[in-house]
Amino acid sequence: MLEVSNLYKNFSDKRVLKGIDFTVTSGQITGLVGKNGSGKTTIFHSILNFVGFEGQITFNGKKVTEQDYPQIGYLPEERSLMPKLTVFEQVRFLSNLKGISTKEVQRRLDVWLKKLQVKGKPDDKIKSLSKGNQQKIQLICTLLHEPQLIILDEPFSGLDPLNTDLLKNIILDEKKRGATIIFSDHDMTNVEEICDDLIMINDGKVVLNGNIQTVRNSFGLTRLFVKSSWTESQLAELAHVTKVTSTKTGGYRLEIDDENYGAELFKTITKGEYVQTFDQQPPTLNEIFKLKAGEGK
Amino acid sequence: MSQVGIVLKETYRRQVKAWSFLILVVSPFIFILISFGVGYLASSVGQDNDKVAIVTNDAALRHELQQDKDTVTTKYASSRQATKAVKDEKIKGYLKIEQKNERLTAAYHGVKHLTQDEKKVFLQVLSKKQQVLNIQKAKLTEEQVGLLAVQPQLEQKVKVSKEDQEAVKTISFMLLIFVMYFILITYTSATAQEIASEKGTKIMEIIFSSMPAQKYFYGKIGGMFCVIATQILIYIFGGGLIYSLAPRLEVSREIFNNNKELVDKVIANLGSLSLVYVILGVILFTVLAALCGALVVRPEDATKATQPALYIVMIGFFGALAFGQDPTNIVVKILSFIPFLSSFFMPIRIIDGSAGISQVVISLLILVISTFGLTAYVGKIYSGLILQTDDIGLFKSFKRGIRIK
Repeated sequence: MLEVSNLYKNFSDKRVLKGIDFTVTSGQITGLVGKNGSGKTTIFHSILNFVGFEGQITFNGKKVTEQDYPQIGYLPEERSLMPKLTVFEQVRFLSNLKGISTKEVQRRLDVWLKKLQVKGKPDDKIKSLSKGNQQKIQLICTLLHEPQLIILDEPFSGLDPLNTDLLKNIILDEKKRGATIIFSDHDMTNVEEICDDLIMINDGKVVLNGNIQTVRNSFGLTRLFVKSSWTESQLAELAHVTKVTSTKTGGYRLEIDDENYGAELFKTITKGEYVQTFDQQPPTLNEIFKLKAGEGK
Repeated sequence: MSQVGIVLKETYRRQVKAWSFLILVVSPFIFILISFGVGYLASSVGQDNDKVAIVTNDAALRHELQQDKDTVTTKYASSRQATKAVKDEKIKGYLKIEQKNERLTAAYHGVKHLTQDEKKVFLQVLSKKQQVLNIQKAKLTEEQVGLLAVQPQLEQKVKVSKEDQEAVKTISFMLLIFVMYFILITYTSATAQEIASEKGTKIMEIIFSSMPAQKYFYGKIGGMFCVIATQILIYIFGGGLIYSLAPRLEVSREIFNNNKELVDKVIANLGSLSLVYVILGVILFTVLAALCGALVVRPEDATKATQPALYIVMIGFFGALAFGQDPTNIVVKILSFIPFLSSFFMPIRIIDGSAGISQVVISLLILVISTFGLTAYVGKIYSGLILQTDDIGLFKSFKRGIRIK
């Protein structure tokens, strides 16, 4: 379990982190979300001891030290490898540093190259690979030593939809292996799809933290999805409806000011009519993100 | 293998595998080979038309005069053939030797004069032959012949002059500071480049999530030092090879034998404590170069960043050249205690023999403490320097870097 408590960090006179508290449960996937410059990378750098900080960070009850490095896998935000090395040389160097023998690296690398569908061989130079394949090699460097704590800084950025799905499956596989995973992202869909927990930070503070469904439900079931003969203007005139927008499926999405009126609106809309869809849901993470991120303005 | 060892090995492997390293190491040998080659070619070109033909009926004499085949030929049996060869510019001349009434007469006909060496050799051989003829003609007994063979004895007892000793000292320290200057100029830039090229990449974050930055820095410096040591060892090995081959090769035999004593003394001077100063100086400058490289964001700015280090190298080098002939000068004495510069100035005093043992120990202690102190300090702030990637100038970058951690 990774515990961050009372984390403060200043850069020059600017306070970037203002008392961050959160817990990443063992064996779970946690999404760290926040606006650009909200301090996500600084949190990761603090966990990894790259920067000095005030507060406490523990992994499995102990302060993170260099003894924990072999148990940690870190993928930085920007991708970068040593272009003149071959794939094998690059992976061997970084894995040797994590305590994996060269022989074991050789064995595991073949497995990972297949698993990630890398178009390239171990003796290909890094610079000869496409950007996407270089990204995969960097992910292999992060995961090959089977770390207990995986920290991924915006791992999906720059990936096409196919590779995004591939990475999601890899992250889920790592969870099955028993790893504790925390990753940052701007795309709430990814977070919603694979994360168990969510930490949202804004202006250097944690504004939301907990199980994703619980977080969403805490905002109330204030979204209705309706597909019926009602027109947009008719729906907009209904009591407690604050906003109506059409959906791609031909229906409408209604925002209501109180979830308790959902039942009443159901009765009104379905009275004597065939209704193809009526669904009451909490706001999406995207909406919550926009709502919370806007608070700091 | 330890993490420091892994980084050291990787840095070393990457550097020595580069073409630039191979060219750097091999170029002095290529230069020497070319010099020898040009010398050899120059001596062999036109060798034939610089030869002297020997024309004589005495086969034994002909054989004896033909010992040096580079200058003498016996291809032409008659004066007529030899005259034609001179005319065709195949030889520079011919020596016609005749014997009448137990007296040898030799006449040289040619388009160029005989060299002093050629004259000496011909006269030596002819005198020897004439002596044999004289003895035969005088009908001397064996005892009389023996008495005539007694030669005067010449013994040489040479005391090396002060000028020779000065020459040994000058050559020793010149060689030392030139080698050091060459190594520092090359590796200051190479180290800064190596560090700066890594700094611009996020791979450093992956590395620092695997090992402490301080250990990584030690591995890096160790790797660069091993590269430098490899080059020095190759030169020592190459030098040893030249030292053992030079007396055997015709091109270099004479020059080597004439200067062997000097060469041996210079080697002895280089192998002294001065080498420790060079090694420590190289480490100290490598660390300084790494610090400079860690302050820039782009690899192309590395050269600019190493300028402060290069200025110190140049002050040391040109200062040592200027004061090299005056090792007792107060400036040399002061600078021989200042880290970075002591590596240039103390060897001058050690070679001269004007530095007392206590002064050498104090200077060496200051240098050792500075070397290890600077290495430890840069290692400690290395993480901050590398992770600070805003292009804000060297000094601000340094200030921000030390604040990060």
